[in-house]
Amino acid sequence: MSVPEVNLLFHEPIADHSFSADRNLLAVARDSRVQLYARSGNGFALQDELAGHDKTVTSVDIAPQSGKIVTCSQDRNALVWEPSPTGWKPTLVLLRINRAATHVRWSPDETKFAVGSGARVIAVCYFEEENDWWVSKHLKKPLRTTVLSLNWHPNSVLLAAGSADAHARVFSAFIKGVDQRPEPTVWGERLPFNTVCGEFSNSSGGWVHSVAFSPSGNALAYAAHDSSITVVYPSAPEQPPLSVVSITTQMLPFTSLIWAREDQIIAAGHDCHPVVFQGDMNGGWTQAYSIDDPAQRQDSGEGAESSALNMFRQMDLKGRTTSVDDTNLKTIHQNTISTIRPYQGEPGNVSKFSSTGVDGRIVIFPVA
Amino acid sequence: MSQSLRPYLKCVRSSLTAAISLSDFASQIAERHNVPEIEAAKSPEVLLNPLTISRNEHERVLIEPSVNSIRVSIKIKQADEIENILVHKFTRFLTQRAENFFILRRKPVKGYDISFLITNFHTEQMLKHKLVDFIIHFMEEVDKEISEMKLFLNARARFVAEAFLTPFD
Amino acid sequence: MATGNWRLIDVDALDPENAFPAELLTPQFAPVPLADIQALANHCRQSLQRGEQEEALLTALKNVPYGGDDQGKELHLATILEILSSIKQAEMTPILARIYSSPNGTELLDALMKYLYKGMARHNASNNGTPGVSVHATGASSVSGFGGATREFGVAPSRGDGGGMSVLLSWHEKVVDVAGTGAIVRVMTDRRTV
Repeated sequence: MSVPEVNLLFHEPIADHSFSADRNLLAVARDSRVQLYARSGNGFALQDELAGHDKTVTSVDIAPQSGKIVTCSQDRNALVWEPSPTGWKPTLVLLRINRAATHVRWSPDETKFAVGSGARVIAVCYFEEENDWWVSKHLKKPLRTTVLSLNWHPNSVLLAAGSADAHARVFSAFIKGVDQRPEPTVWGERLPFNTVCGEFSNSSGGWVHSVAFSPSGNALAYAAHDSSITVVYPSAPEQPPLSVVSITTQMLPFTSLIWAREDQIIAAGHDCHPVVFQGDMNGGWTQAYSIDDPAQRQDSGEGAESSALNMFRQMDLKGRTTSVDDTNLKTIHQNTISTIRPYQGEPGNVSKFSSTGVDGRIVIFPVA
Repeated sequence: MSQSLRPYLKCVRSSLTAAISLSDFASQIAERHNVPEIEAAKSPEVLLNPLTISRNEHERVLIEPSVNSIRVSIKIKQADEIENILVHKFTRFLTQRAENFFILRRKPVKGYDISFLITNFHTEQMLKHKLVDFIIHFMEEVDKEISEMKLFLNARARFVAEAFLTPFD
Repeated sequence: MATGNWRLIDVDALDPENAFPAELLTPQFAPVPLADIQALANHCRQSLQRGEQEEALLTALKNVPYGGDDQGKELHLATILEILSSIKQAEMTPILARIYSSPNGTELLDALMKYLYKGMARHNASNNGTPGVSVHATGASSVSGFGGATREFGVAPSRGDGGGMSVLLSWHEKVVDVAGTGAIVRVMTDRRTV
């Protein structure tokens, strides 16, 4: 059982973060800039800053193989940054959206990336050689509200999207000329662009903050604002799914989730600590345990300070008559966790994951 | 009287903790803008069901949540005309200094005495559980303040009347 | 040229792309006739008279009339409030624990939470806004308003406002102890209003 690694980067919210493949480079969205940190010892040292956006940067993603960084922001733009000897150079992306971009993710084969936006559209962008820019095709049809989160299927063609109308949908983002014809999956066979392979929603509603395909791609999990996680196992295209398991929790809603293994999901959100769910299609899913559980946190030093001296000092300094100092939360994160991403381990067996939150901390937790 | 105060405040505290789960949300209506959705009220899908917690017909709290903001409106107990005036003056004092308050709304929602507007930017800069603590503390203290003001008012009025009428004895 | 006040036309409302019809949000339900809700109310009242409060509460929570009209929903609310006020303080937590551990328990407690909030909102509406009753700032209209609007209360007409509210508040505390803040979040997000 290893100890989580905590780093307080700055006192501002971190909207999204991403590690490079060798985990030596960390890109962090800070207001309208993206800061790049390099690993130095046990911490991170500021290395570079990408300042191309006017408004808050909402999402950052580093492609594992090519090392390119894509960022998107509330100023309706996305930029692809390429490393060069003279620093990072941005490449133009033609998104053609007229509202804020909310989420961006590279496809697993790194030839495309998808951008969710408030313009009720998902822009799937691919590189066009002759003009040296990234052009986009729009996924429009059933979307009527802001797209809050995206996740690619391992075959780089299917895309899951969670939106503010409390639905999670799976689209086909097959682009002729860029993608090879994919193998048939449980989601569908012949899949032209903008086919809706599935649409799911909860009975108690709630905006879908995060979606994720399982490592094999045969199941979809999403976290909604009604404090629940739902796992969907599809059976065949156009058929009702094999099973849809919804786990409602007693906690506050989750904002981000990842699959650690085919039978284990980690979710984190407004409760400021990650929670692990375990289960499978036949046995159902249950809430297993919490990582960094505040209830189990025994603070050794706190009790000693409740002396008379401390009580009078508190009354003098802060006007507080109780001696309990509850300004700091008992969890490592002091505010909502906004993103968690796998850190160590292959896609089917994650052993560590990194989390960033509104408090400006990045913490690397072990799964066990 | 005070035995129903504790469950009332506990109820308000848990409802506020549940509602204050806010996240940044750029406006769907106006590009490059970020507005508190509960005030704009243009997109029905980002608004949630409002909750009312009431202790009796004179004291209640209305919480209207949305994706990036919540509006908390409080109706303070006013038993007679004098308390009406005192509450009105007190809330006017506060709302005129709303900038220093950050989370205070300048006009209360219709039917209530004072309203707070908390946005995701407030929860990013300040601690959520402390914001909730503040509102609960405010609700506890305001009743005491109003009663204290009423006592002082009566004492002062009595003194002034005595001083004025004694020569006519 | 154009007709009337063309400067005040709300272009966004007329734009078909922006339209987000309310039906998309609230799922449609089959209409529930008033007679069914009335029958359920009588059934629950009989259970109460036999002393089976938990049974009555379970029946009422399992058959929430999402498709009913306003009158039907008010009637069901009154039924539930009746059951809640007849259960003693000491029995609240064990009953809730048993409901929570039964299959579908979280949904039942979510429904109970919705009724608690609706009950608190209703008590105020009935005292401040019933048509025909003039509202004075002093709240002097409370007596007549209360008696008129909650005629279905049946069991406890003499229980004043303070009593009714504190029942709801203590139930709320117990439900949050059992079901957590998640239940409150679901009351806010669930578009199926009671």
